Amino acid sequence: MSDDTLFQSRRAFLQALPAITAGVALPMNTASAAEGKHHWAMLVDVRKCIGCQACTVSCIMENAVPENSFRTIVSTYTVTQEVDGKTVAGTYVLPRLCNHCDNPPCVPVCPVNATFKRDDGIVVVDGYRCVGCAYCVQACPYDARFINHDTGKADKCTFCAHRVDAGLLPACVETCVGGARIFGDLNDPKGELRRRLDAAKEADAIKVLKPESGARPNVFYIGLDPRFQGRVEGQGALWRPSEHGA
Amino acid sequence: MNTSIVEVVNVAREVSWLPWAVQYFFLIGLSVGCFLLTLPWFVLRRPAWERASRLALLGALACGLTAPVALLADLHQPARFLNFYLHPNLGSWMAWGAFFIPLYLGGLALYAWLVLRPDLKRLADIGGRGAGIYRAFAYGGHDSLGATRIAAVLALAGAALVALYTGMEVMVVSARPLWDTPFLPVQFFITAVAGAIGLVLVLDRAIGDGRAAEGTHLLRLLAATQVLVLAVGAAWLLLGVTGLSPRHAEALAQVAPSAAWRITAVWAAGSALATLWLAVRHPEWRLAAGLIALHSAWMMRWTIFIGGQQIPKTSAGFYDYHLPLGQDGLLGIVGTAGLWIAVLILLISVLPWAGQRRAQA
Repeated sequence: MSDDTLFQSRRAFLQALPAITAGVALPMNTASAAEGKHHWAMLVDVRKCIGCQACTVSCIMENAVPENSFRTIVSTYTVTQEVDGKTVAGTYVLPRLCNHCDNPPCVPVCPVNATFKRDDGIVVVDGYRCVGCAYCVQACPYDARFINHDTGKADKCTFCAHRVDAGLLPACVETCVGGARIFGDLNDPKGELRRRLDAAKEADAIKVLKPESGARPNVFYIGLDPRFQGRVEGQGALWRPSEHGA
Repeated sequence: MNTSIVEVVNVAREVSWLPWAVQYFFLIGLSVGCFLLTLPWFVLRRPAWERASRLALLGALACGLTAPVALLADLHQPARFLNFYLHPNLGSWMAWGAFFIPLYLGGLALYAWLVLRPDLKRLADIGGRGAGIYRAFAYGGHDSLGATRIAAVLALAGAALVALYTGMEVMVVSARPLWDTPFLPVQFFITAVAGAIGLVLVLDRAIGDGRAAEGTHLLRLLAATQVLVLAVGAAWLLLGVTGLSPRHAEALAQVAPSAAWRITAVWAAGSALATLWLAVRHPEWRLAAGLIALHSAWMMRWTIFIGGQQIPKTSAGFYDYHLPLGQDGLLGIVGTAGLWIAVLILLISVLPWAGQRRAQA
């Protein structure tokens, strides 16, 4: 059946458009909710990150994150060390976001079951139910959560679930200049994420942040310097946004 | 290889358990501690304890009625508390708190009513404006020790559960090594009892006849709490310094490099020692001992909550915290204190808290 046959007139095309849109969206929603169908995860290749913060900005724009709050940020460090008797200084960048853990410490502490892990692995907050008690903020081992000053409720990266449900990539992945962020389905053996993870795993190159926490994160890193795997030992940030907008 | 790392760009997570939380934990702790101090007279009928127990009852009620207000304020929108009952997650200690607080406060209110019934009747018998109301509330004015004991058990169960949940709620946060220690609930409880004794001593000077400590071993009890505070602190430090517990060592390593934390530790230990010395050697300075004990109970909670949240989980260094002047900071602290004073004045004005002495006045 050709497009000409299907849409014999502009009127027919316009009438059919909502059905087509719904038809595209519904199977995606159903698929993402089906148990075991998808297991969304992210691989960050630190070697490719240039610290441009495009991900940071796109996340803010996509998710209307309030001023001076961040769902993701590229932590940037100056590392000075002696190599072969010479003092060498360099920059190390580390994209951070919610790790959408398989054993998320933020979920069991929530007194009202507002934060939960979807069947597709994405950890989200039900904004209608959240009471803003910030218990999850305390429990997160990655400092990935915060209280949104516009809503007074818990906020965090959702892997852009609204985009993923519509078949799109998270905003940070879409805008990553160096292609450092790879998003995909752990259950898809042919997907880029799975292939890249398997390839890197053979070289024992895959790391996660704070593996000792037992949270079993789903954000994986290639090129993660062990000195940055846990709490960083060094001098505190020269610039930190802390004052929230009025 | 010497390495130096300087963080150039990162996010600073703000303190999300605000000074409201400090006020809540302080006040509910004092209330529980004060309630325990009411038992020797109202339940065990030890005459020497009458003054102290009656002041403690005032303290338990004033603190107990004020504390939940601070807790609600920390939710940013107080009506959200309804979700605690509509969608409880019984795997969360905080969710249980929503049931334990009413249990304790309900038990406390019932207990207070039962123990004050005879005094309400005496007040009604004197006559005057309000005699009818007092007579109605006295409901016969019977002094029923059996009923009092049942209410005391109910309130005691509530108090124990409140003490348990407030400690466990913080202790289970394994993301913060400083909080993740079984010593924390113990320290919360001991400092709460010490603060409650301090409050009784302060109230004794302010509205009592200054004799609440006579024959009650109140000061000896205060001294004992300080010995326990120091012992628990020393045990925590020992586990951290020796590395016997990696978790405690991690917590110590996080705070030890900070001069502010070292000063705080010395201040806390010094305060405990000063309270101990005053309680043992200078009973005539019991007001000072009480004030220091109260300050220690508050400072311990401030340090744990506000100081603990200044320790980043992934970033380098410490997050800065400057006390805001508005409702999320100073205004919240002053407002809670003001509410506490208002509730106390109201209770003193309407309740025959001092028993026969008040009724005859």
